[in-house]
Amino acid sequence: MRNGRISRLRAFAARVAGFFGSRKPDNDFDEEVQEHLQLLADRFVAQGMSREGAAAAARRQFGNTTLLQEDRRELRTLVWIEDLGRDLSYALRSLGRSRAFTVVAIATLGLGIGASTAIFSVVDNVLLEPFPWKDAGRMVFLRIHDSARGQEDGRQGYTSNEFLELAEQNHVFDGVIGASEDLVLYKQGEGVEAFDGARITPGTFEFFDMPALYGRVLQPTDYRGDAPPVFVLRHKTWMQRFNGDPGVLNKTFMLNGTARTLVGIMPPRFGWFDADVYIPETPLHGAATGLAGTAAQWFLLGKLKPGVSKAQAAADATVIANHLAKLNPQDYPAHFQVLVKHLGDSVVGRIEPTLYTILAAVGLLLLIGCGNVANLLLARATSREKEFALRAVMGAGRARLVRLLLVESLVLAVSGAALGVLMAWGGLKSIVVALPPDVIPAESVIELNPQVMAFTFVASVLTAVIFGLTPALQATRRDLNDPLRDSGKGVIGGFRIGRLRDAVVVMEVAVSVTLLVGAGLVMRSFVALRELHLGLQADHVLQALLPLPESRYKTAAQVSGFFQPLLARLKALPGVVDATESSALPPYGGEDSKIEISGRPHQDEWHALFQGISEGYFRVLRIPFKGGRGFSNAEITDARKLAVVNETFVSTYLHGENPVGQRVKLMQVETLADPARDQWFEIVGVVGDVTNQYSFGSAQGLQAPIAPAVWVPYTVTGSEVQVLMVRSQQTPTALMNDVRQAVWATDSGVALAFPGALEDRINERLYAGPRFAFLLMAIFGCLGLTLVTIGVYSVLAYATARKTQEIGVRMALGAERADVLRLVIRAGLRLVTAGIAIGLLVSVLLGRAIEAELPYGVKSYDPLTLAGTTLLLVVTGALACWIPARRAARVDPMVALRYE
Amino acid sequence: MTDAKKSEVLQGTLDLMILKTLHALGPQHGFGIARRIEQVSRDVLQLNEGTVYTSLLRLLQQGWIAAEWGTSDNNRKAKFYSITARGAKQLAVETENWERISGVVGRVLRLEGER
Repeated sequence: MRNGRISRLRAFAARVAGFFGSRKPDNDFDEEVQEHLQLLADRFVAQGMSREGAAAAARRQFGNTTLLQEDRRELRTLVWIEDLGRDLSYALRSLGRSRAFTVVAIATLGLGIGASTAIFSVVDNVLLEPFPWKDAGRMVFLRIHDSARGQEDGRQGYTSNEFLELAEQNHVFDGVIGASEDLVLYKQGEGVEAFDGARITPGTFEFFDMPALYGRVLQPTDYRGDAPPVFVLRHKTWMQRFNGDPGVLNKTFMLNGTARTLVGIMPPRFGWFDADVYIPETPLHGAATGLAGTAAQWFLLGKLKPGVSKAQAAADATVIANHLAKLNPQDYPAHFQVLVKHLGDSVVGRIEPTLYTILAAVGLLLLIGCGNVANLLLARATSREKEFALRAVMGAGRARLVRLLLVESLVLAVSGAALGVLMAWGGLKSIVVALPPDVIPAESVIELNPQVMAFTFVASVLTAVIFGLTPALQATRRDLNDPLRDSGKGVIGGFRIGRLRDAVVVMEVAVSVTLLVGAGLVMRSFVALRELHLGLQADHVLQALLPLPESRYKTAAQVSGFFQPLLARLKALPGVVDATESSALPPYGGEDSKIEISGRPHQDEWHALFQGISEGYFRVLRIPFKGGRGFSNAEITDARKLAVVNETFVSTYLHGENPVGQRVKLMQVETLADPARDQWFEIVGVVGDVTNQYSFGSAQGLQAPIAPAVWVPYTVTGSEVQVLMVRSQQTPTALMNDVRQAVWATDSGVALAFPGALEDRINERLYAGPRFAFLLMAIFGCLGLTLVTIGVYSVLAYATARKTQEIGVRMALGAERADVLRLVIRAGLRLVTAGIAIGLLVSVLLGRAIEAELPYGVKSYDPLTLAGTTLLLVVTGALACWIPARRAARVDPMVALRYE
Repeated sequence: MTDAKKSEVLQGTLDLMILKTLHALGPQHGFGIARRIEQVSRDVLQLNEGTVYTSLLRLLQQGWIAAEWGTSDNNRKAKFYSITARGAKQLAVETENWERISGVVGRVLRLEGER
């Protein structure tokens, strides 16, 4: 046996060599044959024959030379490759004849390959491998998490002291770097513009190990006190603000009043801390100021030593944090833990569940697609049983038939794959456009993933090949006469294949139900989100940050000295309805503070969010008053200690009593750089609740409970962030230039930073992710439904066509049209119903498993979604049955009986 | 279909005969092999001499024989075939097989005749 295999192998090798080798052996052989014939003829002549007679006799004795050549060719070369060309052209002709089948099969395959490749590429580039750094897997950041809180949130900014302690005392990191947000102003035209800056600690560029695109990265010498001030620019900013002009390199810019030289422009994939410019800063013990005069907060990134787990790092960092908590108890919750999170978690939190949901949906779609192709191929092959039997009778070997079908399947699969590549490419482009901003790491570049493409390609080709071949194997295994005798009465022939087809349809319907239930759930989540009342009207509002230079704006009086004339100027602008100052932008609710309420002693800590505002705030955002009044312009100017609270504040701390006249103490106001001497505020009004606890990365999003909130005049302190909001009559962004001019007219050293429509900003942050999920799920749901409809239709149409004669007999025996209709539809709906039942079961089970992951608290077994899905599938299923049924009912019994 | 089976048996037999010829006589060209088989079989076997070359190719591919261009007795260019070491081994195996099978077949046929 072994010997046989080896000799077969040897022969095969010789054939391969023969196929690729020269044609010389053929000529050699001709020579050899001629020689042989000559010798034979000579011998006959010697025996006394005539020359002509001898030549003829020699040829007779030698045999048919042409046949011999054929034999040799078959032996010598890989004949099947040569035959392949014939099979290929046959396959193309045969596919061309059944054009509908071909188009549907190729489109289905292309869709499956394209969609799954595109989506998986996104998942891979965003979630699995987003960072270009070599050791990205070991890069982690630390979060101080209040153990009393449920979610894994918490603070991840550290003071310089904390940063230095953690960086120097740890035993688990190979390197620790810090970045601190810094708004950078630079002179531009008549005024100033703003950059999103990052102060970065020494060693940052060594940590990431990425060279600059132009110029150089920051070096240790740049951090020395006497070093000339320099900075590095991000690629995106370079393109947007300087049109990618390399001439800006080594130019000097006035950044926050310091002349700094631009020494380097980073490559496109460098987006650390999502900043525009990188400025060197060495963290020092003692107070340092950061954004808008608040204490500098360092975001800390460490590279785990090889072999160190996150748990070990957390334990080590906890020791240091416990020490720090003893020194500064006010900065730490009573019970806290240090969470060690992977770098990717700092950005992708919000999009992650969405992407995985979509990935699952795409998998289901691919499954339906493969099912459909399988079904189409089965139906087609079954109807060609006779053709195959005929071929077998005519002497085609089993291998030959299999090869024929294989070629056909491969033609389909390869065309489908080619279409799939195109669809993946195009789909990826539209996904990148549709992806909500800010939810993917700045470093990630979304491109087609070759491995995934290869995987889906193999999956589809296998499907096509397996299901394309099954009938061929079946056909050749059977008695050749059976299908030839079979006149298509529907009873004989293809029974096993029929069962297989039914099973595939049931599977498809089940998967489609699951897909649609998923799409329904996502849709419900999205609708629920849109219906949620924010408590304010964000339309027609222009918002911008107004970072005031610290040198000239330290005290409350200085700040209001800027805003009073600015607000007056803005209100006088044509098209402006109202304008206000604020220290936070919706949907954020301001800074957290411990509070006290006079005459209400309590054991536990009381908290509220607070922000400073000017008198126009509630009018600009159209937040309704539920009681009391707002601030007057005079009260703002005088920095009166007054407060407005929200309804949640009243229900949480005052048991619904009238709050007007009560006094609330905001402890946090004491700790500001420009503290208010008296932290007691008298409540003068109550407003409706406004969404205010939306936190970045929180899965709860908009449906997070509303926190108690307090608004106070912005004039009580000079150390808050300053935000401007302007309500306009027309499109808010149309006012942008007028507003900027007004700002510069008030103080040419102040920038209108990150201006935009408030509505866009809220949409972007709150709805973009869910809308993206909804859009894709809706598309996939529709595609799945279409495919299933085609699948059910093709199986029924085929089965009905085979039963034409049976139907004819029934009608001849007195069956009514309605009976025939019912017969066919019942057969189809049986499959659909079975599929729906299985699909619902799977959906409910699957839903229960992922209930926790479901966005925005939508129930997994939402009856409306389940009922809607069932109805939709029954209707489409009935439609798919209806067309072949009607065709069957129109059968003329006489024609059907004669039908051969 | 039965035709194919018959020729298959014949093919195998021809291969065996060629191997044996080359083993017994040393390097031969195609014409020589045909003559030898004709001579030995004493015209019992009706042979299309062309099929000898198909057999030779098959044997070449298995590596049981080797081929070389040389000069024939009458000084003409001819391809000479010779048995290889592997071919000799195969010949021994095949010969034993053949004797066993033909022995069995012979016994069966005799039994049939006695009845």
